[in-house]
Amino acid sequence: MSSLRDKMNRLRGTGSSATVPPAEETGAVHQTVEPQPEPADTDHLETLSEEWSSMGVKLLHNEAGSFLIRRKSYSALHKHGIHCLGELPAAACGLSAFHEAPVAPEELMYLDLETTGLGVGTGNVPFMVGLAYWIGEELIVEQAVIRHPAEERAMLYYLNSKLGSYRYLVSYNGKSFDWPVMQTRFIMNGYNRKLWEPLHLDFLHPSRSIWKNTLASLRLSHVEEERLGIERIDDVPGSLAPQLYFQFLADGNPEPLRGVYQHNEIDMLSLVCLSIRFGHLLNGAMEGCYQLPMPEESEELIRTGLWLEKMGHGDRAELMFQAALAAERTASSTLNMLAARDKKAGNWQRAVLLWQKAVMQSVQPGSAGMNASVELAMYYEHKLKDYDSALSYVSEALEQALSHPLGRRDAKRRDEIEGLRKRKERLLRKTTGRKLAE
Amino acid sequence: MFKKKTLPELIEELRSNENIVNWYEMQPLEAKTTPFDDSVDPRIREALQKRGITELYTHQGTAFRLASKGENIVAVTPTASGKTMCYNLPVLQAIAKDETSRALYLFPTKALAQDQKSELNEIIDEMGIDIKSYTYDGDTSPAIRQIVRKAGHIVITNPDMLHSAILPHHTKWVSLFENLKYIVIDELHTYRGVFGSHVANVIRRLKRICKFYGSNPTFICTSATIANPKELAEQLTGSPMRLIDDNGAPRGRKHFVFYNPPIVNVPLNIRKSATVEVNHLAKDFLKNKIQTIVFARSRVRVEIILSHLQELVKNQIGTKSIRGYRGGYLPKQRREIEKGLRDGEILGVVSTNALELGVDIGQLQVCVMTGYPGSIASTWQQAGRAGRRHGEALILMVASSTPIDQYIVQNPEYFFDRTPESARINPENLIILVDHIRCAAYELPFKNTEEFGPAEVSEILEYLQEERVLHRNGDTFYWANQAFPASEISLRSASQENVVIVDQSNVADVRIIGEMDRFSAMTLLHDEAIYLHEGVQFQVEKLDWDHKKAYVREVDVEYYTDANLAVNLKVLEIDKTRSSGNGAVHQGDVAVTMIPTIFKKIKLTTFENIGSGPIHLPEQELHTRATWLELKDTDPELGTKILEQLLLGIANVIQHIVPVMVMCDRSDVHVTSQIKAAHTGLPTIFIYDHYPGGIGLADDVYKRFDEVKQAAANLIKKCSCKDGCPSCIGNEIEGINGKQKSVQLLSQL
Repeated sequence: MSSLRDKMNRLRGTGSSATVPPAEETGAVHQTVEPQPEPADTDHLETLSEEWSSMGVKLLHNEAGSFLIRRKSYSALHKHGIHCLGELPAAACGLSAFHEAPVAPEELMYLDLETTGLGVGTGNVPFMVGLAYWIGEELIVEQAVIRHPAEERAMLYYLNSKLGSYRYLVSYNGKSFDWPVMQTRFIMNGYNRKLWEPLHLDFLHPSRSIWKNTLASLRLSHVEEERLGIERIDDVPGSLAPQLYFQFLADGNPEPLRGVYQHNEIDMLSLVCLSIRFGHLLNGAMEGCYQLPMPEESEELIRTGLWLEKMGHGDRAELMFQAALAAERTASSTLNMLAARDKKAGNWQRAVLLWQKAVMQSVQPGSAGMNASVELAMYYEHKLKDYDSALSYVSEALEQALSHPLGRRDAKRRDEIEGLRKRKERLLRKTTGRKLAE
Repeated sequence: MFKKKTLPELIEELRSNENIVNWYEMQPLEAKTTPFDDSVDPRIREALQKRGITELYTHQGTAFRLASKGENIVAVTPTASGKTMCYNLPVLQAIAKDETSRALYLFPTKALAQDQKSELNEIIDEMGIDIKSYTYDGDTSPAIRQIVRKAGHIVITNPDMLHSAILPHHTKWVSLFENLKYIVIDELHTYRGVFGSHVANVIRRLKRICKFYGSNPTFICTSATIANPKELAEQLTGSPMRLIDDNGAPRGRKHFVFYNPPIVNVPLNIRKSATVEVNHLAKDFLKNKIQTIVFARSRVRVEIILSHLQELVKNQIGTKSIRGYRGGYLPKQRREIEKGLRDGEILGVVSTNALELGVDIGQLQVCVMTGYPGSIASTWQQAGRAGRRHGEALILMVASSTPIDQYIVQNPEYFFDRTPESARINPENLIILVDHIRCAAYELPFKNTEEFGPAEVSEILEYLQEERVLHRNGDTFYWANQAFPASEISLRSASQENVVIVDQSNVADVRIIGEMDRFSAMTLLHDEAIYLHEGVQFQVEKLDWDHKKAYVREVDVEYYTDANLAVNLKVLEIDKTRSSGNGAVHQGDVAVTMIPTIFKKIKLTTFENIGSGPIHLPEQELHTRATWLELKDTDPELGTKILEQLLLGIANVIQHIVPVMVMCDRSDVHVTSQIKAAHTGLPTIFIYDHYPGGIGLADDVYKRFDEVKQAAANLIKKCSCKDGCPSCIGNEIEGINGKQKSVQLLSQL
């Protein structure tokens, strides 16, 4: 063995950094001895040694083998951040806007994975699968863990029988990460023929729509802190999870996993609260019984309105827009966003007002003021046929565009300026043409 | 008034040219055909009939018959013999019969894949069957990718994509892998050396995944003429192969002519430049509107010849009808040139070996090569560009003054009688093998009894377990690491740690324009080096060796740079030895240490040395395979100084000959001489693979050493210089009868 290592080291060159330090003696020698699972008619739970049971972890046996499971139930009264879990049944019906189909809390399966790597490749293994579901008046959080890769089969067997009866999969980025990873695992373990096809409720997308510019990060841990009032203490960052798991894999000591269990559990609860929040929002809770705080910044108000409108709640959207307009200070780019919506909806009157405000308050040269000028120029030229006003707006836009230096390869801005010049020339022709005619 | 001459007239004129050193005439061949097999779907038959194909050439018929039976085949097909039919017919038939059938096409480059798709889709359209064929490469948009994975009947891709995008995500390709009937490997001969050794391992991974999904695809390979197509195909695919070489395509009369430019400096044996001669020869054909292709060995040379030719004939024909063709042109531009050549709108094209590969440009009348293309196989491929099915064609090879060119034109029998080169790969190279076992384990767990090529892999699996890359449970090894191994492994580069080339010409838009293995980077990317990329000159502003980055900036200068590398060799292990009287040839493992010393600036036009500078880089060590030649009892009267020069001269000759013999790039194998080798104190010449662990080239030299020796002696003897010139043993030896002494030394071995 060492001869192969020597050879690899020699071939890789003396100064190579590619060489991984050898595994610690104990890690390499020690092998986790797995008990051969007895075939069982139904799942049965076995209590494990103290180090596991102190974390509430048990061993689950089924036809395909065994794996670890940790089950915790939370009462409806449990408060996580600003929300109570018991708000879920009321919030759930709001979520029906996603797929235009009714949503009952018993139909929701929440999912969050801790995996051994990044991406959705075939070598990235979810060593911990976090689930949460609603039964009666309780939320059950269930965390399945495999002690080594060979236990995956049993875990998937369990999940496969469990998931099928749910209609919705609730996640944070699960549409492009968690679920594709699970699909890969199922296929690799021979379940390709009859895979569960859930309807997705992936809250990363609405979070992005609403908080894109308001929050510094869209990671769940940040969103929950800023908007759900959740504070984590001594949290193990998710990015450390693979390392901690590999440590466990090497020496069999479950202690490092304690933090990962906890991190994932909070993720699950936060995810439930996030769904409550979005449910309330769609239910019109801002004016209803569950009083959600109104967003403070007009950017968030407008984005929330736009999102509500997209989800088919145009009436509630207008409320947000009004609140935003009443705000003292609104960035020009935000005004433009609403103006674009008004333009599309045919509400020219407000659109023009918004653009004018955007132009007026953009003291510093910037693209927001310029864009508003261009919009106004178009409006005056095509809608009102008022070429003189259009000309003055386009001149202003051009002036702004030229006011800061142009990079050599700034192709997009170059095109923009070129477009403005053409527009200006055309308007000049039109105004002089009209004057001549007169 | 200018009267146009016909090709036969020009050929007659050429016969009396005094610089012609060999004239070889190939007789026309009639087509050998066979009717369509009854089993061929009538829709396919009708579609082909519409294109004027009513019968198959014999090799196409054989390919269809065997492939349909599920036998793996490798078809050797000269240029323009209808090779695509060898695979398209069985594949289309399989899909027509059962629409769930799938096929995977592998082409060495993206451009070839694109061509194939267009051609295939033309036939499919005429068939009126809903067969979907797609290319899948870096340019495929995410929206299309989804469709390709789920619904593509024929997926056309390249080995790099297969390695880094398809195999590690095989679960997204279930419908392809479950129903894979055929794997087509076109241009098989290009899979050699390091690249071929990697691809053989990629195919092992591919077969593993097919097995997992329960499919057992048949391989259809096509290759240009090489000495060992069957052996290469079997090594590459790990499957038994049937060779098909009964080419039934017709051929017109061909004249294959060697042209040696006249000597302009007798004592130094310097000949007129091949480029200048090519310009004049090509001009005559173009002026007479005879479609001509000119091959040149470098991208820069292509541009030089192109501008000369456009200038020379601008009064007779428009410059637009003579075009260049090389890597670095945009795909759209290339498609336009290819079409122009097929339609006859473009009269002349100057190309690098980019047009050697199977791009469809129709058949031209004249092919002119600027210098020997470097291997018999690629010479025949280039020659294949000229020659219509009827009428005459002319192939002109204009020799340059390099030793190998001179050897070829003066020993035409070497070229015409010898079988072409063998393509060598070594999929068992430890570094390559370990890399791909990592990738394979990422894709599917490994059983310790599982096979992965002929070598025993359980030891490697255990090693990877110790490295904490794999986790063992029972008899199975599982991937247990955060990395994505395929992204760390490039199929085309010679060493693992590559130097990334960063263009910072524009501060606002810093781009990565390429990468290079660290051994080559020492002499090509040192500080102040001039680096040529797609014909554009860049100067290296800083080589950040620790982070393996070279920062370059575009420049326009009149010189190039050439670095000196001090090489030291240590023998680690001797595997085999063949002694003879007072010499010996050994084969074994060596450690090569390299340190670059200085670089010279050399003027482009005159080759004058116009400056130099030091290179400060750490020493690098390469462990590899070598064959070395040891001399005992050399004539003491020679003296150390002269013996050293003689060795250097012989090494020079061997460096030229070996790449030709073992079919590899010049940079794949290095030759160096030592007056006193460290382990014996004897005069020694080392021939070693320039890749950690070796890829079988030096081993091949050992096996065929008699041939190499013979060719080296011949080259020296037949060189027309008096006593050594740069075309043979170099010109540094004075008045000692160096040529004769060199041959004598060689005969000691």
